[in-house]
Amino acid sequence: MSGRQDREARREERLREDEQAGASERRQQMIKIASAVAFLAVAAVVVLIVISQNQSSGGDSSDLEGISEVKQELSGIPQNGMVLGDPKAKVTVLEFADLQCPVCKGYSEEVIPQVIENQVRGGEAKLSFRNFTIIDEQSIPAGAAAIAAGKQGRGWNFVELFFRNQGLERSGYVTDEFLTAIAKGAGVTDIARWNRDRGSKAVLSEVSASTAEAEKLGFTGTPSFALDGPATDGTAAMGTPDSAAVLEEGIEAAG
Amino acid sequence: MAASNSVAAMKPPTEGTLRGIATFLATFGIGVATYIAIADSGGGSPVCLAGGHGCQTVAESSYSHLLGINIAVFGIAGYVLLLACALRRGDAARMVGFAMALVGFGYSLYLTYLEVFTIEAICQWCVASAVLMTLLFATNSLRMLAYVGTEP
Repeated sequence: MSGRQDREARREERLREDEQAGASERRQQMIKIASAVAFLAVAAVVVLIVISQNQSSGGDSSDLEGISEVKQELSGIPQNGMVLGDPKAKVTVLEFADLQCPVCKGYSEEVIPQVIENQVRGGEAKLSFRNFTIIDEQSIPAGAAAIAAGKQGRGWNFVELFFRNQGLERSGYVTDEFLTAIAKGAGVTDIARWNRDRGSKAVLSEVSASTAEAEKLGFTGTPSFALDGPATDGTAAMGTPDSAAVLEEGIEAAG
Repeated sequence: MAASNSVAAMKPPTEGTLRGIATFLATFGIGVATYIAIADSGGGSPVCLAGGHGCQTVAESSYSHLLGINIAVFGIAGYVLLLACALRRGDAARMVGFAMALVGFGYSLYLTYLEVFTIEAICQWCVASAVLMTLLFATNSLRMLAYVGTEP
């Protein structure tokens, strides 16, 4: 090989090496840019998630009382709309109540838990909550909010939690914020859907229909109970039992 | 050692193959997202082919919309962009395709989490879209890692 050919070959090799080094450098640079792009993409996902979560924001449930007690009281019991208990249970206990009624709150805390534990959990009876709105006009949105929660399987959680956080009668505490906090505390997950449902004509007419039903049964105060079972002739009005024992006896007799 | 050597020696598919796969997946994704968007725009919801009310429950959920727009519309836009990236050569297409697939994959993960743990209903069409996004993410990541900075 002549000196000239040798120089030519070395020059070509140097050019090849420079080209390879340039390509490698360019690739390293592009990978750095790609890392920054990946970081921005992850940030975009986080922003989208935050926007999505904020759509469901509303009242603050952190100040509510009794969330865990209610959860524990109802855990493992099936809920279908405003009915709590095994759908195949022989006896249906209809509770006509106003969420703003303080006597109903007392029943919710002292009578109902016993019935749930002794007869609903065992599958002997199921409890059906019916709005009987007698306090004032705020009882209607409260009742509608409970029914809307029932559409997400949290109707009884809503009712029980509402009673545990009930305000002073006719004090105007039943605001959207209060109801939203109760819904969140009750475990209603889709607040936007709950908002749509509670304002719907169907749900509002359900509230007035159950009030009319209570009046038809001859009830004038809350809470009032009625029983429906194999031993009753249709829905039998019971009135307001003095204690859980009386209600439990009624359930046994109706079965 | 031998195993790691064999992995290191594994050659990725050619960029043409990866672009072909991405084209197919993105086209399929456009179809799925368009069906969901059309079903929703008519005031209804997608029909679950295997029966059940999962699709209706998910469609009625507030999470089906973002800033008042159906998520499926964002899906169509994303798949169209991914298709465009699959059809184009060069580093810009590789990077935009990778970034878009990463956003789509991340948001699909979040939506699947919502379906399972929050909405408590599964929509087959959403699952199909999530699977497509996952495959697109894998394809575009491989394309980006193996070929970025190289000649188109």
